[in-house]
Amino acid sequence: MKRILLLFFLLLLFHVSKAQSTDPNAYKKRVLESPEIEILMSYYQQNGDHSAVGGGIGDESVDDITPTIVVTIPLNDDDVLTIDAGLSAYTSASSSNINPFNASGASGRGEDDDEDEDDHEGDDEDDFRPGSSEPTTGTPWLASSGASQSDVLASVSVDYSHSSDDRNWILGLHGSVSKEYDYHSLGFGGSVARLFAEKNTELSLKTQVYLDAWKPIYPTELHEYSLYGSNFQNSGYFEGMTVLNEQGNPTTAYLPDLFSEWDSKKRNSYSASLGFSQIISQRLQASFFVDLIYQEGLLSTPYHRIYFADRPNYYIGTASDIPVYTTRENTGVFRLADEVERLPDTRLKIPFGARINYYMSQTFKLRTYYRYYSDDWGITGHTGSVELPVSLSPKFTLTPTYRYYEQTAATYFAPFETHVSTEQFYTSDYDLAEFQSNQWGIGLSYTNIFSQPKFLRLGLKHVNLRFSHYDRSDGLKANIVSFGLKYVFE
Amino acid sequence: MSRKWKLPDGRNSLKRLLLIGLAAAALSSCVAVKEYEKVYINDPNMKLSAAGDQRFELNFQVYREAAAGANGGKSGGGCGCN
Repeated sequence: MKRILLLFFLLLLFHVSKAQSTDPNAYKKRVLESPEIEILMSYYQQNGDHSAVGGGIGDESVDDITPTIVVTIPLNDDDVLTIDAGLSAYTSASSSNINPFNASGASGRGEDDDEDEDDHEGDDEDDFRPGSSEPTTGTPWLASSGASQSDVLASVSVDYSHSSDDRNWILGLHGSVSKEYDYHSLGFGGSVARLFAEKNTELSLKTQVYLDAWKPIYPTELHEYSLYGSNFQNSGYFEGMTVLNEQGNPTTAYLPDLFSEWDSKKRNSYSASLGFSQIISQRLQASFFVDLIYQEGLLSTPYHRIYFADRPNYYIGTASDIPVYTTRENTGVFRLADEVERLPDTRLKIPFGARINYYMSQTFKLRTYYRYYSDDWGITGHTGSVELPVSLSPKFTLTPTYRYYEQTAATYFAPFETHVSTEQFYTSDYDLAEFQSNQWGIGLSYTNIFSQPKFLRLGLKHVNLRFSHYDRSDGLKANIVSFGLKYVFE
Repeated sequence: MSRKWKLPDGRNSLKRLLLIGLAAAALSSCVAVKEYEKVYINDPNMKLSAAGDQRFELNFQVYREAAAGANGGKSGGGCGCN
C-alpha cells in the first residue's frame, strides 16, 4: 500500500516538473466572457409502500417542485462568482402521517383549521384536537391533511473561483444555507485544482463542512407521551380517544416507555474529495475521484416510527381494519409507535468513482460512470451509468441514459415489526435496506454558442429538457422531469 | 448512543482506486494532447462531470439511496427525510 502511494506521488511530481515549461506569455482568455442566467425547474413524483414514518409500511408518495435560478458573473478576467438560489416545495404522504389522526383525508376526527404555514406537528398547538362526534381514524396508507404534509426547503449557495494567469491553478470558495421547517443547514468549503502537462492532467482537492441542526418533530403519540408522561391518555391530544389492543378491545395499557427525546439536535458533515482527471488521447479522457465523508450528531430521523416484535400492539381507529393493517385494505386504523429509529451518531462513508468519456464521432459520444461505495454502517453499493449523446444537428442533442444501482442493507435495518426492543440501534427506513434500482432517461438539449441578444440584452444560449423513470426493487417508483434555460447577458 | 467509528470495508477498494489512478498517471506520460488538438475533448458532452441538467436527479438519488459522493454532487446538508 505504501509503495503504491509513493509511486503515485512520484508520478505527480513528474507532472509538476513538466508543468514548469508553460509559456508565461501565453494568451490569457477570460474565464467567463459574459454573465449568464440559468432558470431551472424540476418536478419529482414517487410512489411506494414502505414509509419509514409508518415503521416500514405505508404510502410514501412524494411530489416535489423545485424552481431554481443560477446567476454566474465574471468579476474580471480571472474571477467568477456564482449564486444559486432555489426552492423545493413538496407534499409527502409519509410526513403527513407524523400525525395521522387529523381532520380530513386519513382521519375523521380533529379539525386543524389553523392555516398558519408554520403550524406543524410537534408544536404543542398543533396537537389541538377540537371535540367531535366522529370516531377517530387514521391509516398509514393514505396521506393525512396535517400541517406536516407539505413544506418548502429554501436554499442559497455562493461559489467564488479564481484562476491563475496561466490557468493552471483554480481556487474556489463555497458557502451555502438552506432552511426548511424542521431542519436548517450552513455549509462552507474550499477547493483547489492544479492542471499539468499542457492541461492534459488535473488534480483537485475539495473540502466541505455542513453544520446542520434539527428542530425535531416526533410522532404524535410519542410527543404526547413525552409531554404528559404515563398519564398522557387522559391529557392533551389523546384525552377521550380510545386505544385498542390487537383484539380490537379498548385498553389503557399503551405506554411507549422506551421512547425519549433526542438530546443532540446537531448534524455535522465533513468531506474531502480528491479528483484526478487525464486526457488519454484526442478522443478519450477519464477521471477518478475518492471522497471521505464523516458525519456526526443526530443521524436518525426523529419521526421515523419503530414497531418492536416483542411488544404488544396498540391502535387507534376502526377495529375491523386491524387484521388487514399491513395492506391497502386498511382505511381506518393506525398503530401507535413503540419507539423512533435509533442510528449511531457517527458515520464514515468512502465512495470512489471513475468516469470515462469517448468521442466516437461527430454524432455519437459515449459517457460512462462507475462508483463503489462503502460505509461503517455495513452498506456497500455499486453504481454504473451510461449516456449516449447523439448530435442531431449542430444545435440539437438527444441523450438516452441508463443507470444501475445496488446496495446492501445497513446493519441496523429490519423490516416492519422485526426489530426487538433489546437492540441498541434500529431503523425500518427502506432507503437503508438492500435493493437494486434501474433508471432510464432521455434528454433533449439545444445549444447556441453564438447566441445574439434578443430581449433585455439576453441571448438564449442553452435549453434542456430531461425525463427519467426510476424503479427500485422494493416497489418504489419515481419520475422526474427537469427543464432549464440558460441566457447569456451582453 | 456514542459509538467508536472504524474504517469501513473499503481498504481493498482504496488500493484498487490507487492502482487505477497510477495506471492513468502512467498513461498521461505517454501522450500530451496539444491545445489545438482538443477539439473533440472540448465538446460540451465530453465534460468529466455530471451533466448540469442532472442536478435534480443527483439530489433525489442522494435521498433515496445510501450511497453518496464521488460524483461532484452534495455530500451533506439537508435531511433528505421525505
